[in-house]
Amino acid sequence: MSANGMDKEKRKRRVHDGIAIFVFLLPALLLFISILIAPIAVSVYRSMYDWNGFSEGTFIGLDNYKELFTNGSIKFMVSLKNSMILAFFSVFVQLPFALLLALLLGRAPKGERFFLSVFFMPVLISTVVIGQLWLKIYNPDYGLLNRFLDFVHLENLKHVWVGEVKTALGSIIVPTIWQYVGYHMLLMYAGVKGVSTELREAAMLDGATFWQVDRYVVIPIIKPIIRVSVIFAVTGSLKTYDLVRILTEGGPFQSTEVPSTLLENMLFLRNRYGMGSTISVMLIALCFAFALLITAAFREKDNS
Amino acid sequence: MKIRKTLTYILLGFWVAVNIFPIYFMFTFSLKSNEEIFGQNVIGLPKQWLWSNFTTALNTGNMALYFLNSILVTVASIVISIFAAMMATYAITRIRWKFSKLTNAFFMLGLTIPIQASIVPVYVVLSKLHWLNKYTTLIIPYSAFALSMAILICTGFMVEIPTALDEAARIDGCGIYGTFFKIILPLMKPAYSTVGVYSFLQCWNEFMFANVFISDSKHRTLPVGIKALSGQHTTDWGPIGAALVIATFPTLITYIFLSRKIQASFIAGAVKG
Amino acid sequence: MKMKRVVSTVLTGVMALSMIGCGSSETTSQTASTTTETKTETTAKVESTDAGQGEQIDLTMWCIATESDSNRHSYEAAIADMKEKYPNINFTWEAFENQSYKTKIKAAVSANEMPDIFFTWSCAFLGDFVEAGKVYCLDDAYQNYKSELPEVMLGNSTYDGKHYGVPLTMNIVGLFANMDLLKEVGYEDIPGTYDEFIACCDALKAKGIIPFGCAGKETWCVTEYLESVIEKSAGAATLNDIFLGKSTWNNKDVTDAVNTFQTLVKNGYFDPSGIGLTNDEVKNNFIAGKYAFYMNGTWNCADFASNEEFFPKVKVGEFPVINADKAKLGQLIGGPSDTLAVAASSPNAEKAAEYAFELGKLICHYGYLDGCGLPAWTPYGDTSTVNALTQKVAEIVAQADSMVLFGDTAMTADSANTYLSYVDQVYGCLLDGQQFTDGLAKDIQ
Repeated sequence: MSANGMDKEKRKRRVHDGIAIFVFLLPALLLFISILIAPIAVSVYRSMYDWNGFSEGTFIGLDNYKELFTNGSIKFMVSLKNSMILAFFSVFVQLPFALLLALLLGRAPKGERFFLSVFFMPVLISTVVIGQLWLKIYNPDYGLLNRFLDFVHLENLKHVWVGEVKTALGSIIVPTIWQYVGYHMLLMYAGVKGVSTELREAAMLDGATFWQVDRYVVIPIIKPIIRVSVIFAVTGSLKTYDLVRILTEGGPFQSTEVPSTLLENMLFLRNRYGMGSTISVMLIALCFAFALLITAAFREKDNS
Repeated sequence: MKIRKTLTYILLGFWVAVNIFPIYFMFTFSLKSNEEIFGQNVIGLPKQWLWSNFTTALNTGNMALYFLNSILVTVASIVISIFAAMMATYAITRIRWKFSKLTNAFFMLGLTIPIQASIVPVYVVLSKLHWLNKYTTLIIPYSAFALSMAILICTGFMVEIPTALDEAARIDGCGIYGTFFKIILPLMKPAYSTVGVYSFLQCWNEFMFANVFISDSKHRTLPVGIKALSGQHTTDWGPIGAALVIATFPTLITYIFLSRKIQASFIAGAVKG
Repeated sequence: MKMKRVVSTVLTGVMALSMIGCGSSETTSQTASTTTETKTETTAKVESTDAGQGEQIDLTMWCIATESDSNRHSYEAAIADMKEKYPNINFTWEAFENQSYKTKIKAAVSANEMPDIFFTWSCAFLGDFVEAGKVYCLDDAYQNYKSELPEVMLGNSTYDGKHYGVPLTMNIVGLFANMDLLKEVGYEDIPGTYDEFIACCDALKAKGIIPFGCAGKETWCVTEYLESVIEKSAGAATLNDIFLGKSTWNNKDVTDAVNTFQTLVKNGYFDPSGIGLTNDEVKNNFIAGKYAFYMNGTWNCADFASNEEFFPKVKVGEFPVINADKAKLGQLIGGPSDTLAVAASSPNAEKAAEYAFELGKLICHYGYLDGCGLPAWTPYGDTSTVNALTQKVAEIVAQADSMVLFGDTAMTADSANTYLSYVDQVYGCLLDGQQFTDGLAKDIQ
């Protein structure tokens, strides 16, 4: 075959490949761009408008962004603070506990399967169901929690759990952590089980205790999984919506609003689509910023 | 040694109780009357098994319909996302081209984009297209949001299939398309269940889109249906409990039977991802 | 019979004051074109009102009368009547839960996918749609119902002098009292003066009875109390002007009134667990005898009347005057808000308009008989079966001096929610009166 013919053949192959690539990517790209990427672009555009959703909007530049931080009734800062608190508890309470469970189960105790199955169960339950269930637990008059406190004569600890500023956020945090411990545990358990038994045994032979093995052998190996867990926990906290909507509706006195509930209020209670878009844009920016930050933090640690 | 073992079991046992108890509580109060729940019998088994709560939840609450809707929407979303992800992953990992890495990174953006972010524009577009209150109103966005995770997992599985297989297939006369359908898809079987588990978790529980995009009672999914029912029966706990049980137990029972398989799939996702 | 007369006088006389409401707000309406378009055929259509002939047409309606809504029965009865009267109209209707309905109707409006007839709240809620040119003007159809529906009742759904809504029932805020509990502290009637009222609350508190039940989870329930306190301190005209944006929130009297309200909260007159409860739960607690007073809309009369055990115990009255220099008895919160409107996009808009009037009349009729509120239409037929509570409300309204519409209905959606957010904070004692009025003056333009 001549060099020319080879070239032709190559080009033909490349065109053919190009078409194939296009065909194979088409469905995913269509979905992805139409539902995720294009809407973000539209959000950025709309966030600069004062628009009620059905009449003409007026261009107002960055005024929505300014108002987000200055209007006393919008509570964006409160919502951010709440998300951060939630993220804090997820990362520093939920994840360590999940890791502990994963490590314990990684040592193959009796009933490993059973524990694993039970711990993962709450993940499968719809958050709405969990919200309703906890609402019944928190009910000030007939709820399980207050009646338990009555029963053990700790009446002074009784609260209107979802109604008091002091306890409302806490009563959202508890079910959130409860539900997703299993999720993170199973992710980490996967990593723990991936550590070869030889490696463990070798370390044990060197006289290391269980905890030392976990600390110096297992945890470094499953670091990538922990990183993913941290990213999920933080971005998940920023996205929290269901439990707040059901347990407190953002109350009392809007002290438990999170960005997503504010977003919904803007759309459907206040007819402010422009401001809703502004909150969306802020949310995306924050999620990305945190994902990058966490990745960077883990990299830094690896280097040092 | 023994003390540590006991401590381990106490901790694990405690967490089992914390996990099981709310589910037990839900089940018992779904069968009680308000008098029993508000009276002395808070956590005991019901004295009178009030199955009528379930009839109420099924009749006025329409839970059976919502359950079917949820299944339909979830299954359709899973199927679409798996198929789209398989195709995209194939193009990214099996065909050599300049921008394959970049494309992959582009799809991975979806992992961090919150579903809420697109709700305003998607809502406006869907309503302009008269596309609210249909099953597809939910299926399309759910598939799109499950896509990134699905591609991530598929990539993990697909890179493990040796490329020699592709080459062999090419020599046998299979084209790019033939290789995909005849070689890759069958070999990717384990990936289906893994993607399925992750997508299921995402779609089955989704509340925000379902709450906003679906307002007629015919297309409601379970989470929205439960919210609506509890809005109507705020003070009547039994039927709400029954609705919660109807929404939860089928999944839990399925899970108990398939727990090994489901966990294995979930774990595969964690390792491959 | 007596009842009928009472209400009729109500209708023709005293309502005028509140009714100026939204009508006078400057709405730049874009709906003029839709009105003229359809004018020509109006007369031809009116004749076919009672006839069964003519081609079949489809009409759809959306409303919020779900199974658990106290208005459900009146809708069902009215629609059954209408089916008989208009056999050639194929009428379908759907009811949605209140909160999701707000979402749904707004979506439908922005997508131009509205049903022919839809339920709406008057004033600002409907006003937004009217302004966007999505609502059919009812001026022509109204000509045939002038004698049965006093024009003052249309005030809250009139924009730029044009009528856009068919009012159904009207409601005011009532002070409901559990007389069994009041008797325990020696009161045979609801205290008539503010000092007596406070003394009564103190006596109740001393006896371990909670004076007020209020659902903190739904802020509109707090406004039922707060708005009454403001009105009875600063006067109806002041409050009305503020709600309609004619004067600013920066008003010394309002500040003082808000502080007065907060004193009630701080004195522990409100159920502390109320902040975590929904209105349904609070209402149930009131029926169960947990609270002495419950300030809420008079639509509750129907529910109280249907509870045989509770009904003999409950009385309804007016909130006492706090500052007699500025306010007086007879200044009430409320007015017609529940409204039916017709979509401008409806292919059978004229027919729908006529149907909406006829249907509205019947819903109002049955709703009144059920005790769901006072009728916006002149009542007809035998109304002696109306429950005693509703009759008492009618009496209060008959002696009314002026009415101010519920704040969150009178204001636009954005302002209303800003307002509710501030009310919430006052109830939680996070803000005092001064901060409340300052903040609202700043955030509501």
